[in-house]
Amino acid sequence: MKKILVIDDDQFFPKTLEAALPKAKYKLISAEDGEAGLKKLISEKPDLIILDLMMPKLDGSAFLKKLQESKDLPKVPILVSSNLSSIKKISDVMSMGVVGYVIKSDESMQSIVQDIERVLGEEDKK
Amino acid sequence: MNIALHSGAVMYLFLISAFLLLIVFYFFIRRREKEIIKEKEESTRHLYELTILKELGERVGYSLDVEEILQIITGSLRQFIDYTAVGYIVITPEKVKINTHIEKSVSHLFLKEMKEKMIASLSALTDKSFDDSRLDEAVSGAIVIDEMEQNIGSLFNIPLVIGGKVVGVLTVAHIDSGLYKEEDMTILYKITGQASGAVSRLQEVVKIEKGKLNAMVESMQDGVLMVDTEYRIVVANPAIKKIIKFNPSPDENKEVNIFNFVDALGGKFDIHGRLEEALVNKKTFVSERINIDDSFFEIGVSPVLHLMPKGGSQMHGAVVVFNDITRDIELERVREEFTGMIVHELRSPLDGIKKITESAISGNIDRNSDQFKEYLNMIYQSSASMLGLVNDILDLSKLQAGKFEVNKEKANIKEVINNRILFYKISADVRKISLEAYLDDSLPDFFEFDPRALKQILNNFISNALKFTSSNGSVLVSAFLYDPKEYFPKDFDRTKAPVFPEAKDINVKKPSLCVVVSDTGIGIPSDNIKDLFHTFKQARLSPIDKESKGTGLGLVIAKGIVEAHNGTIGVVSKEGAGTSFFFTIPL
Repeated sequence: MKKILVIDDDQFFPKTLEAALPKAKYKLISAEDGEAGLKKLISEKPDLIILDLMMPKLDGSAFLKKLQESKDLPKVPILVSSNLSSIKKISDVMSMGVVGYVIKSDESMQSIVQDIERVLGEEDKK
Repeated sequence: MNIALHSGAVMYLFLISAFLLLIVFYFFIRRREKEIIKEKEESTRHLYELTILKELGERVGYSLDVEEILQIITGSLRQFIDYTAVGYIVITPEKVKINTHIEKSVSHLFLKEMKEKMIASLSALTDKSFDDSRLDEAVSGAIVIDEMEQNIGSLFNIPLVIGGKVVGVLTVAHIDSGLYKEEDMTILYKITGQASGAVSRLQEVVKIEKGKLNAMVESMQDGVLMVDTEYRIVVANPAIKKIIKFNPSPDENKEVNIFNFVDALGGKFDIHGRLEEALVNKKTFVSERINIDDSFFEIGVSPVLHLMPKGGSQMHGAVVVFNDITRDIELERVREEFTGMIVHELRSPLDGIKKITESAISGNIDRNSDQFKEYLNMIYQSSASMLGLVNDILDLSKLQAGKFEVNKEKANIKEVINNRILFYKISADVRKISLEAYLDDSLPDFFEFDPRALKQILNNFISNALKFTSSNGSVLVSAFLYDPKEYFPKDFDRTKAPVFPEAKDINVKKPSLCVVVSDTGIGIPSDNIKDLFHTFKQARLSPIDKESKGTGLGLVIAKGIVEAHNGTIGVVSKEGAGTSFFFTIPL
């Protein structure tokens, strides 16, 4: 059973994602902003983080920066899923050590699930 | 006989007296003639004086070129004074120029003597030696014949004074001696005096204008640099010195030079190359944005050409303008951010709807389950929020295009407020927030406003207040007639609105309707307050309830509506205590 932490202020997204993921294989936990996300990262030790960018309090970019700067926080693969589509934003985020960037509205739930499975599958091979 | 003798004597006497009379008359005539000639001469001279002065006035008029003036004077001298040679010596910034015109052939010796006398005169007048100066000589007119062994017989010098300084000497010479009289010199004095006066005045004007121009260039925000054809710096305003960080201490007495620019710009901008292009090929150049420290510049380089009246042009140098576009770039960035935000805010709910329906279509959800109902609710909320945003964007674009229509009608503000309180009561109750209205007796029953637009403002104010207030807090909508002289309603209970606008916050001069929506919420950090009513710059605030988020467009629209009513909008807030948004509409 893999734990996936969804950090997104959009409350619908984790719910629809949960519905789309095979229940037997994954456990989904959610956090509504970056601050709550950091807490859950420590307490839940997820296998993967799905990170939104535009969020109150601590946004996605700031969250990534904290992860980069910190030595204590666990290293977890991060898949960014956002509706921000500017090339600059994507390349900025990609340079911060994330495993992928999904423009939410450009992808179906099914393809997001595939992305998740691919990332977690690669992690297992390591 | 006696008689004959007598008559003879009488005759004789008569003849003598007639003769004497004749002589007297002759002399009288002669004298008169002389007088007439003299008068004629004088009037001719006067006329000449006038003509030449007029001509000078016209020709010299707008010329600042001392040499040109001297040429005009020497050129027109012939009509009046007899001379063998006329010349001038003049000091220019680069050299000393001597120009001589020979009317009748003379020897080299004559010319040499004249030249020496001119230099000596200028030297005496300016108290300077010109022995080492570069002399630029020109001789025109009749040919020089060395066999003519005639020396200078008469000569006089007239100094040319511009702005109180001797800048040259005008010299008239003749082979005959004792030729020039006082009057001749006086006239020439007058002429040169007039000319130099004109030039002095013009130079004064130019100096003032130059001063203005300099002050303008000095005060310009853009960096301005001008170099002459030798790359020497003619103008470098403080802005440009600041850009290249040229700030020597006052005692160093250092002048900025082109190398300071070359060094400061480094590989970012080839200033020397561009200047060369401008100076040699007369090419104008405008750079792409160039980043220097924290600022961005567009650098323009253009030649400074003076178009001659006769055609052609003279190169004076080149000018470099550093146009600071940092603000434009900042604005561009903010716009991009805003567009990105709007796109994001539109995409998110739409994507939510798409994802939910995707799940529903795939048949993962039981139609009778609670989950299905929850999904339907999500679709409803997403579409509602998107519709709200689309309406906001439409309103905003109307406001920005000045096409937002305000339909004023006689309406009752109390009714509008009560209606809104009723509308939001349910959601306030859900959040356990008290929502009340205070409608002062001072309010008129009816007055002119757009009830639909005011409803929109109230929706924004009230929904914001609810968003940022935690349970057990309160939201109060108060309305009263604000009179600048009297201030606030007397029986108003302030405990329900701990943060309330004071007279200095409302700050209107005319009696106005004032509507305040006060909450006991988290408050707004003072840094964010000033940006609240500006498009593209919404404060990213954290609502109590994570469902409530917004673009902040509502406040910008509210501001537009209030301004369309000639009113004012404002906010007072204290972190941890509460916030009051208010607007006024003049009655």
